[in-house]
Amino acid sequence: MLDFSILTNNIDTYLEGFLNTLKVSLLALILSFILGVIIAVMRISPMKVLQLAGTAFVEFIRNIPLILILFIFYYGLPSLGMELSGFQAGTIALSIYTAAFIAEAIRAGILSVDKGQMEAGRSSGLTYIQTMRYIILPQAIKIVIPPLGNQFINLVKNSSILGVVAGLDLMYFGDSISSATYVVFDVYIFVALFYLILTIPLSLFVGYLERRLAVTG
Amino acid sequence: MISFKHVNKHFGDFQVLTDINLEIKEGEVVVVVGPSGSGKSTLLRCINRLETITDGELMVNKKLLNSKDTNINDLRKEIGMVFQHFNLYPHMTVLENITLAPRKALGISTAEANETAMFYLNKVGIPDKADSYPSQLSGGQQQRVAIARGLALKPHIMLFDEPTSALDPEMIGEVLDVMKTLAKDGMTMVVVTHEMGFAHEVANRVVFMDHGRILEESEPAAFFSNPKEDRARLFLSRVLNH
Ligand SMILES: Nc1ncnc2c1ncn2[C@@H]1O[C@H](COP(=O)(O)OP(=O)(O)O)[C@@H](O)[C@H]1O
Ligand SMILES: [Mg+2]
Repeated sequence: MLDFSILTNNIDTYLEGFLNTLKVSLLALILSFILGVIIAVMRISPMKVLQLAGTAFVEFIRNIPLILILFIFYYGLPSLGMELSGFQAGTIALSIYTAAFIAEAIRAGILSVDKGQMEAGRSSGLTYIQTMRYIILPQAIKIVIPPLGNQFINLVKNSSILGVVAGLDLMYFGDSISSATYVVFDVYIFVALFYLILTIPLSLFVGYLERRLAVTG
Repeated sequence: MISFKHVNKHFGDFQVLTDINLEIKEGEVVVVVGPSGSGKSTLLRCINRLETITDGELMVNKKLLNSKDTNINDLRKEIGMVFQHFNLYPHMTVLENITLAPRKALGISTAEANETAMFYLNKVGIPDKADSYPSQLSGGQQQRVAIARGLALKPHIMLFDEPTSALDPEMIGEVLDVMKTLAKDGMTMVVVTHEMGFAHEVANRVVFMDHGRILEESEPAAFFSNPKEDRARLFLSRVLNH
């Protein structure tokens, strides 16, 4: 049986980690979404330079480990005279890493919108950006929601790398409770439960959105 | 109003349009016919620069289409386009479909845009569908909405690319009727279609294309009774005999 006294005795520590994990997840979710949309639009824009820059970003970031990106920001930047806390470096690394996957999901969604939609918009005098904003993206978003939801769930789980750079998240405090109490199993089970508190509602919410968007088709 | 002078268009190595010369005056209805793949759509799409020409000169509304000084978005506001597959915006109501460009491209207020939209929805005979979504309409109704959407910009020119080809036979008439009314009202129209009855009745001129060239350009009566070109004759015998 689980020893619930571990939880109650360390509830403040657990909660602080939980709140920080929530905070980094929310921040990185917003940042990675904005960055992802920009990169996706760059990759499908008619301008070769933007396409190239977008593709380079995606291919570079997707194909290196997340923890490497984190180390570049946490250990690498100070040598350039810029100190970041573990929390800051973690937020930035997570945002950049997730943005590459989000950009790909959004790009696939945009490409799946019939090309007659762009032609109809442009031929009525709307600019490329207006057509994207009012016609293409609202349709793409429906296609993109399931893969996007998965990316956000991954993001929450990946935020555990903050533990490696003293990012004060759930994983970090889990480690510290474990070394203070000499308990391993129970401590980490409670950590897992806190992650589930974040990821299960997120997963249900994505399912709900999918159903709702399917109705307004 | 529209003038092609020695226009050529290539897709890579493939030449789609060869030495196109065509003058269309204000208020004229020109019907473009020809076999599939002959370049009709491409010709039409050059007029609002959905396709760019490779060389030659193309003037629309006294503006050179392939010139840096021509603001293409401004020019497109003067040209309505109707597509074979309607291309309505599925996530917007009929009213939103029609008012989007007037509001965002012309900068007209929503109230005024709605009023204009209702005017044209009346004109195409489906004012009661204003709040429906495209998926709730029949093909013929969707295409009439698409026409109303084109008209809502109050364009000087309307382009139609096989507007009835995707429709069930019983819906073709309702769309052609709207187009006939438009023609009577004096709209400048360029229409790619296989509806020879429409061409006969409404067109000022019929343009016959094959392999990217304009082979014949005549008044409809002359074209249908006595086509000059063998290939036009062959084409006509095929489309009229089924
Ligand atoms: N974007 C494109 N790239 C390459 N070839 C094309 C493209 N669009 C059309 N074509 C080719 O150009 C020719 C003319 O096409 P189109 O203008 O659509 O003919 P039509 O409308 O008369 O059927 C066809 O052979 C078609 O395959
Ligand atoms: Mg065609």
